[in-house]
Amino acid sequence: MFDLVTWPRNSWSLFDELESLQADMNRAFSDQGNDRPWRGGATYPLMNVWSSPDGLVVDAELPGVDPKDVDISVRGDELTLRGKVNARESRKGETYCRCERPTGEFVRTLRLPFRADANAVKANYKNGVLRLNVPRSEEDKPKRIAIEAA
Amino acid sequence: MADTQVTKRDEQTPATRSEQAVDRTRDPETDATYVPDVDICEDSERVLLVADMPGVDQSSVDVTVENGVLTIEGRARVEGPQGYELVGQEYGVGKYRRDFTLSEAVSAEGIKAQMQKGVLEVTIPKREEVKTRKIKIET
Repeated sequence: MFDLVTWPRNSWSLFDELESLQADMNRAFSDQGNDRPWRGGATYPLMNVWSSPDGLVVDAELPGVDPKDVDISVRGDELTLRGKVNARESRKGETYCRCERPTGEFVRTLRLPFRADANAVKANYKNGVLRLNVPRSEEDKPKRIAIEAA
Repeated sequence: MADTQVTKRDEQTPATRSEQAVDRTRDPETDATYVPDVDICEDSERVLLVADMPGVDQSSVDVTVENGVLTIEGRARVEGPQGYELVGQEYGVGKYRRDFTLSEAVSAEGIKAQMQKGVLEVTIPKREEVKTRKIKIET
């Protein structure tokens, strides 16, 4: 009668979600020509994601990025990171002979397996890694229903 | 530093970094060694090497010169949150290492390095005799 969905459905559902989102992103960017700075696709920044019944922790590799240049937003079950990797200001008479580090603007959106509490998201930047703590909103958490004795 | 040779001693290249088989454990820490992305630029005074090494702090980075080879090495440390399970991994947390053969034009003395926001900057001064001098034309 009812489809009971437990959360998380299985440990890897979020990962599959990430993969499909990444494939969508790659498709979306593939017809924009070869002028994008990111080597080998549009996935930037790279992320590691942890989960618990209380929410998610997301690490994003953003070396050299000023945390002030990163905009973090949460809308419903979507978490979006948007920002800019500034190139070094080059000195007069300077020439580059190797340029591998990416620069430019980036946007990346993750679909969360729950509705997040936007006001409770915490962000911390250390040694080039941005860590986001995304708690599941209280309304979204499962509620235990007490069974009354007959 | 146009004649600089870059030696990749490690099997993994940055391009394969995100594509490597995902080890679905609780901890993204690995024994793997990654080759950091670098920019190299120069002017008449010095060569500047900039390397992305996210997760590495100042105390766990080493810059050494031996037999004309400059080596940068660092260990990233990122602790996973307590009580959470790793559900998606796109990068591993391990060592970074890359070697650069120094040309005759630079001096191993006076190399300076600083680490900030996961980015290592190494300044390698040029030898006095190769620095560009402006020669005044007499009339």
